Amino acid sequence: MSEYEKVLLKNVGKPNSRQLATYVEGGGYSGAKRALEHTPDDVIDVVKRANLRGRGGAGFPAGVKWTFLPKDREVTYLCVNADESEPPTFSNRVLMEEDPHQLLEGILIAGYATQATVAYLYMRAEFTEQYHIMQKAIDEAYEAGYFGKNILNSGYSLECYIHRGAGAYVCGEETGLIESLEGKRGWPRIKPPFPAIQGAFGKPTVVNNVETLANLPHIVNRGADWFLGIGPEGSSGPKLFCISGAVKKPGCYEGAMDFSVRELIESDRFGGGMRDGLKVKAVMPGGISMGILTADELDMKMDFSDPAKYGLLGLGTASAIVIDDRTDIRQVLRNVARFFAHESCGQCTQCREGTSWMYKMTNRVERGLGRMQDIELLGEIPAKMGMMPGLSICGLSDGAAFAISTIVEKFRSELEDYVRNENDDAVRIALEIAN
Amino acid sequence: MAKIILNNQEVETREGIPVLQAALEAGLNVPHYCYHPGLSVVASCRLCLMEMKMPHPKTGELGWAPKLMPSCQTPVRDGMEVRFDSDKVHENQERCMEFFLLNHPLDCPVCDQAGECHLQDYSYHFGKSESRMVDQKHVTPKKDVGPRTLLYSDRCVMCSRCVRFCDEVAGTGELCITNRGSKAEIDAFPGKPLANPMQGNVVDICPVGCLLDKDFLFQQRVWFLKSADSICTGCSTGCSIRIDQNEDHVHRLKPRFNPRVNQWWMCDEGRFGFKYIHDKNRLTRLKLRRGESFESLRWESLAETVRYRFEDVAKKQSDKKIAVVLSPFMACEEAWLLVKTIREVAPEATLVLGPVPTVEQDERFPVGATNGDTKFIIRKEKCPNRNGIELIIKHFGGNTETFDAFVEQAGAGEFAAAWISGGYPTEWVSKDFAKAAGKIPFKVVHDLFGSALTDEATLVIPACSFAERDGTFVNATGVVQPFARAIKPPQGCKRDGQFFYELAELEGLYQSPTVLGMMAAEIDEFKEVYVPPQLPEHQH
Repeated sequence: MSEYEKVLLKNVGKPNSRQLATYVEGGGYSGAKRALEHTPDDVIDVVKRANLRGRGGAGFPAGVKWTFLPKDREVTYLCVNADESEPPTFSNRVLMEEDPHQLLEGILIAGYATQATVAYLYMRAEFTEQYHIMQKAIDEAYEAGYFGKNILNSGYSLECYIHRGAGAYVCGEETGLIESLEGKRGWPRIKPPFPAIQGAFGKPTVVNNVETLANLPHIVNRGADWFLGIGPEGSSGPKLFCISGAVKKPGCYEGAMDFSVRELIESDRFGGGMRDGLKVKAVMPGGISMGILTADELDMKMDFSDPAKYGLLGLGTASAIVIDDRTDIRQVLRNVARFFAHESCGQCTQCREGTSWMYKMTNRVERGLGRMQDIELLGEIPAKMGMMPGLSICGLSDGAAFAISTIVEKFRSELEDYVRNENDDAVRIALEIAN
Repeated sequence: MAKIILNNQEVETREGIPVLQAALEAGLNVPHYCYHPGLSVVASCRLCLMEMKMPHPKTGELGWAPKLMPSCQTPVRDGMEVRFDSDKVHENQERCMEFFLLNHPLDCPVCDQAGECHLQDYSYHFGKSESRMVDQKHVTPKKDVGPRTLLYSDRCVMCSRCVRFCDEVAGTGELCITNRGSKAEIDAFPGKPLANPMQGNVVDICPVGCLLDKDFLFQQRVWFLKSADSICTGCSTGCSIRIDQNEDHVHRLKPRFNPRVNQWWMCDEGRFGFKYIHDKNRLTRLKLRRGESFESLRWESLAETVRYRFEDVAKKQSDKKIAVVLSPFMACEEAWLLVKTIREVAPEATLVLGPVPTVEQDERFPVGATNGDTKFIIRKEKCPNRNGIELIIKHFGGNTETFDAFVEQAGAGEFAAAWISGGYPTEWVSKDFAKAAGKIPFKVVHDLFGSALTDEATLVIPACSFAERDGTFVNATGVVQPFARAIKPPQGCKRDGQFFYELAELEGLYQSPTVLGMMAAEIDEFKEVYVPPQLPEHQH
C-alpha cells in the first residue's frame, strides 16, 4: 500500500466545506476554467488518456463512453447518477454532503466535454438532506456564473437541475434512470439503442456516476499522467472505499487501488481492524451484488481486475461489508435474497420470478426448515437467471445471481450442516401447511 | 428482401423485421408472450431468446455469441445466422416456463382461456411437468377493471401487452403496472376503469387467462367452439372477424388479422353488437296477407308469388311506379340477385338505397390521432355495405331514387308496389316512412324484426342475420371482402341468398362465390376480392 495524498476527500472536515467560497479558496473551479479554455475534444482526450474508469460499478472508461455520442447531434443531455443504492455504499453521499462543488465542477467539465445543454442530477429519494445541500450549492454556482448562459464568457451554456427519484435500486441502472427521469416507471430499456444515441427524451445522453465526475477537475488540473501514476495499471486514479460492518472505524476512505481487502479491514488508514475481538467470517467487497469472499480470500486486491480471480462479478462500488464470525450465514443469504426480490423491477421473467423464489427459499432455510434440494436449487436458480452473459435486459439479475451463488458456493458446507441438523418432521409439516 | 440462415436453413425474409417474426413466418414455433406485431417491442418475457452468430470482439471471427439475444428485438439483416434449435435456447425456454408457473394458480379447469392458452401450450411444448417450488404461492387479487372486463392477476405473465395496447392503439392508457418485482400487477388507474371503445382487444391479446371478457365468461369451453371467417357489420370499416359458435349459438366475435382494414383489432361496438341475432322477437315466419290477417306461405311458393305479383302490377298499373329498396346490410350478391329478378318482371322498377344509419363522426384511434398516425377507425356509417349496394344500383342504372325522394313520392301515392329490404339490427322505420309506405298498396317487406312496415305488408319475408348468411361486402375504403356463414338460420327462416337465388330462377344451391363470379363478369369492381393473409400458425 503506497503513501497517498487525499484528492477527492481533501475538503472533507474543513469548516464550511459545502460553501462555494471555501471550495474556490482551495483552488476550486480552476479545472473547469482550464477546460473551458480548451476545446471539448481536448477535454475528452485527456480523460481518455487518463483511462478514467466509471466509478459506478461497471468500470467502463468514461472518456470512451463520451465518444459514442453521434458527431452530428443537436442536443445532448448529461445525467449524473446519484441514485447510490448498492448496499453498503455511501461514497457519493459523502462527496455530495461534504464537497458539493467538486461534483458541480465535474458536471461542468463533463457537460462541456460532451457539449451537453442540460445536466440532470438524479438523486435517490432517500437523499433528502443531500438534496438541500446540492440545491443550495447549485444556486450558489448559478449565482457565480458556473451554470447558466455563457459560462465564464466561454460561450458555453449549461443548465443544471436536480431530479429526485422515487426510491428504486433499479433506477441506478442508466436506462432505468433515464426512464424515471422522463417520469415513467423505472424499467431499464432494451439496448440498443444505447443512451449515447437515444437517451433521455430520445436525445443523445451521457450517464456518469458522481464519483467519476468528481475526478474530472483533478484530471484536467493535474493531467492524465498524474492520474495514471496513482495505483496499478488499469486501475489508476483516486478511489473512494466504504467499509462497514464489524470494524473499528467504519466509514468512507480514499486511496489508490493498490491494497487488499485484508488491508482495507486491518489498516489504521481504513477500517482499523475488527472490533470487540471478532473475527472475519466473510466480506462482500464491492457492494452485495458483486459476490462474497471467505476469510481465506482476503488477499484480493481492491482493483478492477483482481475480483474476477475470486469468482466475483467485479470491483463494483468498492464498498465492503465485513461480516463477523457471530453471524449465521443463513441470515446473510436471506437478507441478500430479500434485497434483490424487493428491488427487481419485474420486467424480465428470470429476474422477477427467480429473485422472489430464492427469497422464499432462503427465508425458510433461515427458519430451520430447509431441505438439501433447496441448497441445490439456490445454486441452480442463479445460473438459470443468467450470469455474465445475463439473460435479462439489465444487470440486476446478474448481480442477484452473483451475490447468492457465491454465498451458496463458498459457504455450502455450513448451509448443509444446518440443514442436516434440522428436525425433518418440522420441515415436512411446514411444507404441508404452505401447500 | 433478405436471406438469413435460420436453424441451418436458408430462409428468405424481409430486411428489418424482427427475427422472431421471420421465424414465425417460416413456420417455427418460437414461444413468445410480450411480442405482438401491432405493439412496441419490450423484450421482457425473455422466452424468444435465440443464438446468433457474431464476430468475435478480438479476432473478428464469426461464431455463436455466448449471450442469447431476444429475437423480437433483433432486426433481420441480410446474411445473418441465427438458431432456435440449440440446447442453450431450449434450456432457456424450459427455465422460463418454470418461472412463469411458479406463482400461477393452475386453475385451468375453471379458466376461460383453457384450450387456447399459451401457458398451457408452451408448458406442454417447452416446459416441465411439475414445479419445484414448495413454498406458498404469491397470490394477487382478481379485479373488476372495467364494465366488460375482469383481470385475474394471479394468472398474469406480465407481458404488458394490454398496457401497451391501451397506450399505443386505444390511446387511452387506462391500464398500468403497479408494484414491483414478483408483486407487480396490472391495474386500472383509480377512477378510470378500462372502458375505451376498443378495450375488448386486451382480452384477445392476453396470451393467458388473465384478462377475461365478462360477456363470454363461463359461457363455453373453447374447444367446443366452431369458427367461421366473417366481416363485422357494425360499421363501414368492415373488420375481418371470426364468429365462434356452438350448436348454432354465437358465443363471441374475435378480430382476424387484416392488414388492409383492421390490422389485429376490432371495436367493442362490433364485438358485442351481435346479440340481436338470438333475439326472441325475430321474424321467423314467411307470411302472406289475406284480408286483415296473415297466413303462412310455403317457401316453395315464394318465387312464383313474388314474380307473378310484381309482373301483374307492372302490367296493370303502368301509370304507377315500382320500387326496390335495398338495405346497406344486404350482401352484394343478394342485392344483385334481387334487382335482377325485379328488373326482369318490372324493367322500369326504381332502385333505392335504404336509409344509412349514421352517427355524427368517425372515431379515430389512438384517441386524438390524425390521418397519419391513425391505427383504427370506428366509422360513422353503422352499416357494412353502402358502397357495395351503390355499386349494384349504379350497375343496373335506369330509374334510381334517393331514399328521401322515394319516401316523398310514396307519400304522394306514386308507387303501386315496393320490395323493401331491412335487416337493420335496430329500429329503422321512421314515422314518416311508415306513413308514406302506407300509401303503397302492394309491399313485400323483408326484415329481421316486426315493425309498422311489416304490420301493413302484403308479404313478410323473415331475413337472416350476418352470421347466418354469406356473401360479399364492400367497405368504406372500397375493399371487396367475402364473409362466410357461421350458423343455421332460425327455424322458419331461409337463408337470404338461397331464396334470392330461387327468385332469380337459378337452379341448385346458392353459393356466394358462384354468384360473385356472375357479377364479376358484369361489374369490374367485383373482379378483385380481398382475402387477408393467414397469420403464421404460431403467431398470436
